Amino acid sequence: MVRFTPRRARAAGGPGSMAKRVLIVDDAIFMRNMIKDIFSGGGFEVVGEAANGLEAVERYRELRPDLTTMDIVMPFRSGIEATREIIKADPRAVIVMCSALGQESLVMEAIEAGASDFIVKPFKAEDVLAVVRKVLGEA
Amino acid sequence: MAEASDKLERLGRGLVRLEAAVRGEEPLAPLVDEMFRHAHSVKGMSAAMELEGISRLAHRAEGFLEILRRGESAPGPEAVDLLLSAVDALQSMVASAAQGESPEPDAALLRRLAGAAAGHLEPPGEEAPPPAPPAAPPAGPEPAGEAPGPPAGEDRGGRGGAAPRVRRRLVAEVEIAAACPIPAVRGFLVLRKLGALGELLGSTPAEDDLRAGRLPERRVSAVLETAEPAEAVERALSQISDIAAIRVREEQAPPPPAAAAPAAPAREAPEGGRTVRVRADLLDSFLDAVGELILATSRIRELARAVPEAHRPPLEDGVDRLHATVKDLHDKVMAARMTPLRLVTDPLPRAARDLARRSGKQVEVEVRGAEIELDRAILDELADPLVHLVRNAVDHGIEPPHLRQLSGKPPTGRVVVQARRDRDRVVVEISDDGRGMDPARLRTAAVARGALGAEAAEALSDREALQLACLPGLSTAESVTDVSGRGVGMDAVKRAAEAVGGSLELDSEPGRGTRVALRLPLTVAVQPVLLVLVGEEVLGLPIAKVHGAAEAAVESLERSRGEPMLSWAEGLVPVRELAALLGLPRQERPGPRQVVVAEGDGERVGLAVDALLGQAEAVLKPLVRPLDRVGGLSAVTVLGSGRPVFILDVAGLAP
Repeated sequence: MVRFTPRRARAAGGPGSMAKRVLIVDDAIFMRNMIKDIFSGGGFEVVGEAANGLEAVERYRELRPDLTTMDIVMPFRSGIEATREIIKADPRAVIVMCSALGQESLVMEAIEAGASDFIVKPFKAEDVLAVVRKVLGEA
Repeated sequence: MAEASDKLERLGRGLVRLEAAVRGEEPLAPLVDEMFRHAHSVKGMSAAMELEGISRLAHRAEGFLEILRRGESAPGPEAVDLLLSAVDALQSMVASAAQGESPEPDAALLRRLAGAAAGHLEPPGEEAPPPAPPAAPPAGPEPAGEAPGPPAGEDRGGRGGAAPRVRRRLVAEVEIAAACPIPAVRGFLVLRKLGALGELLGSTPAEDDLRAGRLPERRVSAVLETAEPAEAVERALSQISDIAAIRVREEQAPPPPAAAAPAAPAREAPEGGRTVRVRADLLDSFLDAVGELILATSRIRELARAVPEAHRPPLEDGVDRLHATVKDLHDKVMAARMTPLRLVTDPLPRAARDLARRSGKQVEVEVRGAEIELDRAILDELADPLVHLVRNAVDHGIEPPHLRQLSGKPPTGRVVVQARRDRDRVVVEISDDGRGMDPARLRTAAVARGALGAEAAEALSDREALQLACLPGLSTAESVTDVSGRGVGMDAVKRAAEAVGGSLELDSEPGRGTRVALRLPLTVAVQPVLLVLVGEEVLGLPIAKVHGAAEAAVESLERSRGEPMLSWAEGLVPVRELAALLGLPRQERPGPRQVVVAEGDGERVGLAVDALLGQAEAVLKPLVRPLDRVGGLSAVTVLGSGRPVFILDVAGLAP
């Protein structure tokens, strides 16, 4: 069980008054860079990256991001386990799974673990941004 | 099970070629024969494993292929689509069988296959049962107390303490967008979301059907007992993507008797592909172990120097033999890591076909040289970028059929993925015969984005201007890439190639097409490194150069010629501040420091650092100008966290 620090205080103002903070979890550097570019181009602030599920839980605890993108199959600890652990400690965490075709049953497992939504690789920038804006209630 | 997956993979590949064959570009008969054989053996294998459901579906697929084989029906795109759905279904059934389940095939799919074998193909869903909205209410007063759920007002925790709110029954109907690639998962997410808002009393399709990938109508309806108003439920659902329509209304009548299936306990279900990853990890650890052996051998060799002359020859002889064996082992492990490119190129034709069909284009992907082998670690990094490049070619390169015909091209676009050896490198080229890229537009866009001045942009040759597509700001801007004929993420692809020690080249001719060449090393230069912290900087020292580490209070060490000396292995080594050697800002830190004793140019030196961070396996990549001129640095690596770390060249660290 991981202990989390309290959610970071937010500046006053309506939604969108501050760039939303994103944590990117993927074991492939390529995917991290790509997702990072998509978010930076979409007006989000990428506050951290993690390359496996273990690191993901730690980074989440430190950073308390508004949104986490999570790869599913990763070494050390899968994205599903990481999602389960993060949600257990912070039920309000917003986690979007990055899946590939053929991982349907794993995505469903992740949804059961508390993931808010998913995107399917290969994806386009606008697809990713549309999903996360929806899930954050901005669209 | 792996064998069945393999057969299915080949069946799927055969299908994509089948479509090409229908256009007369490949002989049809041997292909259909081959696919028939695979379907037949999947049927046999599954029957032998008592997987009756898989066997039945394979049997129907085989039956349809048999008809095609006899040439009684010419296969069109619908036939290929139907067979692909059958292969997809078989694949997911094999995956769940691997977890000990006995999956059942979708009845509608079985029916369509049987119909197709009998000569009539139907679009999906036509024969499926009607949507069966859960509320087809016979009007009448609601009988009291028949609700299967907990009595109204009695919350299942969570909202405890609040005044009991009125619970109502809502019917939610959701239509999933046609663009969604995995609609059953979407449907599942909808049910989960509803389940979080109240109690799910029933749904069509049932949760278990969605779990098995069955969603024939792209529509989910569910009955929910909840304290939330309909609008709140609708709002919650509207946060889910890929939904075409949502309707939430209050139910007027008793709910259908079917209760929601209880959530199955989360399964720790390893996916078929993950076994491969484990195997790769094992190979990594072999390589690590061999690295240790090499290191140990060289230590023994060094120790042998201290042995009296008379005993030395037999010992050195033994060490030589050990060294040769270890070297041989190293080569074998490296060879075992070599994996054919096929592993990452096989899914490409299928992915391209799906993409093309969704965007109304016709594309054919040809893969050449898939047998060429690369180190597994490189292939792993290459898989996503390759899919991405093919996607770019289809989305942004290949024109719609009518435009192609206008410019005198065949309506079907071609994407060729070709791998070839070039000395110690492998070149993987992805080329298309699409609209090509426009260097002038790239120049304009680069200037507009402030990436470079107008004069500098004009000074670029056309070929140089094309490389601008790899600038981060440019390659992610949809508006730019759409007009330039190249998609997003070129910089990410470039970085992926560079991360494994490779490079990327772009070539294009407006109207004729684009070629992206990835030039990759055959093997990775993997080296274990010791990570140390100096101020804010993380640096790597090759383990092979490290003798050990000690904690010492530098200021209280004995001095010789002005330098503090650490006593180490019956000798003294000079201790130098690594920060000072690298010209980094130096903070005065009193108290004990970590000193790493490393092998410099024939002599040992103690490097004082702020902390030891541990060991890591680093894929080394060469430094680019001007960094290659900086003394004391030999390479750069990127840690798992994405942080770049310089690897030190101990001999080059000038005092």
